[in-house]
Amino acid sequence: MNQSPALIELQHVTRTFPGAGGGFTALADVSLAINRGEFAVVVGQSGSGKSTLLGLLAGIDRPTSGEVRVGDTAVHALSERAMSAWRGKAVGIVFQFFQLLPTLTAVENVMLPMDFCSTWPPAERRARALALLERLGVADQANKFPPKLSGGQQQRVAIARALANEPAVLLADEPTGNLDSKTAGAILELFAELVRGGQTVVMVTHESSAVQLASRTITLVDGRIVAEKGGSRA
Amino acid sequence: MLKPRWRKVLRDVWHHKARTLLVVLAIAIGIVGAGAVLNTWSLLRRVTRDGYLATNPVSATLRTDSVDAALLTRVRALPGIEAAEARRTVIGSAFSNGAWRTAVLFASGDFAGSQIGKVVSESGTWPPADSSLVIERSSLEFSGLIVGDAASVRVGNAPEVALTVEGIARDAGLAPGWMEHVVYSFVTPSTLARLGAPATLNQLRITVADRSLDREAVRRIAYAVKALVESSGRSVVDLEVPEPGEHIHASQMDSLLMTQGAFGVLALLLSGFLVINLIAAMLAGQVREIGVMKALGARAGQLAAMYLGVAFVLGLVACLIALPLAALLGRWYAGFSASLLNFDITGFPIPLWSLGVQLAVGALLPVAAAAVPVTRGCRISVSTALRDFGIDGGDGSDSGGVLSRVSGLTRPLLLSLRNAFRRRQRMALTLLTLALGGAVYLGALNLRASIRNSVGYLFEEMLRYDMSLQFSAPHDPDSLEAAARAVSGVERAEAWGGKRAAVARPDGLLGNAFPIGGIPVASKMVGFPLDSGRWFAPGMANELVVNRSLLDAESAMTLGGTVTVIIGGKPTEWTVVGVVASMPSPTAFASRESLGRIGGDFRVGQLVVTSTLPGAGSQSELIRRLRQDLAAAGYDVSSGQLVAESRRVLEDHLLMVAGFLLVMSQAMIVVGGLGLASTMSLSVLERTREIGVMRAIGARHWAILTIVQVEGLVIAIASWALAIPLSIPMSVILGNAFGRIMIPVKVLTLFPEPMAILIWLGVVVAVSLLACAWPGYRATRVTTAAALAYE
Repeated sequence: MNQSPALIELQHVTRTFPGAGGGFTALADVSLAINRGEFAVVVGQSGSGKSTLLGLLAGIDRPTSGEVRVGDTAVHALSERAMSAWRGKAVGIVFQFFQLLPTLTAVENVMLPMDFCSTWPPAERRARALALLERLGVADQANKFPPKLSGGQQQRVAIARALANEPAVLLADEPTGNLDSKTAGAILELFAELVRGGQTVVMVTHESSAVQLASRTITLVDGRIVAEKGGSRA
Repeated sequence: MLKPRWRKVLRDVWHHKARTLLVVLAIAIGIVGAGAVLNTWSLLRRVTRDGYLATNPVSATLRTDSVDAALLTRVRALPGIEAAEARRTVIGSAFSNGAWRTAVLFASGDFAGSQIGKVVSESGTWPPADSSLVIERSSLEFSGLIVGDAASVRVGNAPEVALTVEGIARDAGLAPGWMEHVVYSFVTPSTLARLGAPATLNQLRITVADRSLDREAVRRIAYAVKALVESSGRSVVDLEVPEPGEHIHASQMDSLLMTQGAFGVLALLLSGFLVINLIAAMLAGQVREIGVMKALGARAGQLAAMYLGVAFVLGLVACLIALPLAALLGRWYAGFSASLLNFDITGFPIPLWSLGVQLAVGALLPVAAAAVPVTRGCRISVSTALRDFGIDGGDGSDSGGVLSRVSGLTRPLLLSLRNAFRRRQRMALTLLTLALGGAVYLGALNLRASIRNSVGYLFEEMLRYDMSLQFSAPHDPDSLEAAARAVSGVERAEAWGGKRAAVARPDGLLGNAFPIGGIPVASKMVGFPLDSGRWFAPGMANELVVNRSLLDAESAMTLGGTVTVIIGGKPTEWTVVGVVASMPSPTAFASRESLGRIGGDFRVGQLVVTSTLPGAGSQSELIRRLRQDLAAAGYDVSSGQLVAESRRVLEDHLLMVAGFLLVMSQAMIVVGGLGLASTMSLSVLERTREIGVMRAIGARHWAILTIVQVEGLVIAIASWALAIPLSIPMSVILGNAFGRIMIPVKVLTLFPEPMAILIWLGVVVAVSLLACAWPGYRATRVTTAAALAYE
């Protein structure tokens, strides 16, 4: 059993994408540990490896070398099938473009992860989804389809969906990148509130205001961690 | 409560109504095509087998001097005999539709109690009363008679008698009257007497008790009957044993059904190709959503179940539409085919297994077709799915290099050509679907042309006369020819003889009776093509030319060998010198002189005539004058027949069969067109961003539309070209299958006719323009901003 206090642990992780001239290294020998309850913000220029890092944490990509652990799970070693099941329960993902399924209502979008992962009894799923929407302030939009919602409302629904299976970690990839500044501020405040409630959040962002709310800031340049503020380095 | 994932599936299906409709339509067309054929096949199989066996078909027929009740009792007492009945068959002529036609009159003393080859009443009176007749239904169209008509009937020299048509009946054991050009009818012995024909029954029909016996075992039993008949002082003229339990046209029917079955399977396959393309199109639009669902924890199996579930449900919906249509179409075509073969499907339901197979195939075919794209789509990694922009170089190697070197290509045209080859697997599937449809279409057009050519060949080259006349009594050939030539309008006249014969087999048994036509050695009226050997030569005695069917039936007959043939009860030695492909039933030809030497009777009973008069009307008139003048000269014409009329009847029926195949091929082309439409829709969908880029750099509506239309035309023209060589084996298959039906349809031109190729080009271009219209329109609706933001 892993005795480490860190919830997320990366050990010498390298991710190289094949291509002409030997390929492109998006992450180079990155080691990192994030503790439970932290609000970690990953910043850096475009192409610095931020989204690659998030993809590895979410189990939607695999490292070329090195280890990725989330809780007791060695994510890098999971089979594709096991990875899907783990991902559905252990992490919640929030995308820049919301990625709500357009033919499902807001509440149905939130119920979907519970459906796929069978985490809650079928009879309780709707009530739970509505409770989450209530918590995120969009309960009144529950029966609307995503195209009928504003960007901010869509992102709130997406966050509710990410929380549906009570994941250990909430991963957000530029969650405010597609929102106006006022809405972006509200969404960031929402994340901060979730962290205050005990939720671990890792967010990739360009927003400087996010850095102010974060308990930990990790700066990437050319696939390497060049600076960290707060927290501890593995 | 329905789970969210299934709600998504249902809403997606509803949201993409046009595509959903296309999938349902594609599956439905495939099921209708294949289902109609399966229904026809299963129904005909049941009707022809069960229907034929239900008549309790005759096991053997002996022709003797007379059959009375005492003889029947003795025959029934023989071991192995189930039943024995008496009948007489008389050849006469009936006047109908303005002409005298050959009439075959079947007489029995007890039609009502008959248990062998049961005749079923269809309408009017049954059994026939004295001085009336009941027409066999397959002769109705040919004779033009209906119930209530007074038909003038005559036998030989006897005066014509008006007999009332009192009913219509069906004898499933007969070859159809329209095909044989004969008016079949049923009369009583006393009606025969009124017509001046002998009223004594002379045919002994038997059935054997053990229906599992093969033809040779039945023949041995029939020989025991023959011995009994001969022991009573009677002579047996001939003995006929048909293949037990098998209809006279069973092999032709099998051949026809097999060909059509193959067409059905092909239609289903094409439909399957289309479903593969459509499901791939559906998944292409869902790649990002698949990635999102996977990111939310969906496993590949769960996603596959969702999309395969959609395919299954769409298959079921298609079945709901297709099954009743296939049943209607199948029933209609089975009814038509059955009537060609003198059967009736009334009272026979389509077998349940046939409907079950269609339902299973209809529901599972889309699942099977979707399996590959769904598996591929659901296995895509989350990162790849989320990165999907729908724009890439495709799955083939770059053909741009080759195309770039072709001079004179404009940039948009170059783009269309490259786009067409971008997804090679999909392009190949679309091309093959359309090309196969085209090949069947060209094959069916070729078959139709071949039927016309072959019927023309049969009536212009093989039978080089305009009309034939039958006489009820034999006459001297030279004087008969001279009398005919004296009639104005007669160009040439030839008198033909004929006798019935049977091969004396090495085991001492007699083969089935067959006709030998006695034709003048120097005849200019026939031109049967020889498969092998030669036609009989002048001055050579007892040379026989046989058709393929007779050669196959009698193993004692070999080309170049001698065979003992019983003619008029006398054994005679003949040399088989040639084999012709003509006629489906066993037939032989000999010189009139050789045939006349048998029994020393050189007289003949048939006259064939060529006319100097053009047109059916004047030739009908010539027949009337021939009958009149020859009767005045003492020649009793029993019937006369115009070749043009026989030709029309035969051609009409054969072309109806070819027409069915043409309709099926058109359905396949529709499937191919839907395939092209789906491919182009998919192409536009995948290139939304690319189209946006083109618009951003100045491409106008017409340029976008042209790119899509030209891309479709590239595939269509390639299909057009591919269909031409593919149609050659198709023509051979169809020609061979139809060659066994009714007449030897020679595929005279293996290569499709230039006009057929042009028609196919027109069809494929029209299909392409139509199929690309909607995708093209959709492409022009793509706005730059939306396309570049396309996720």
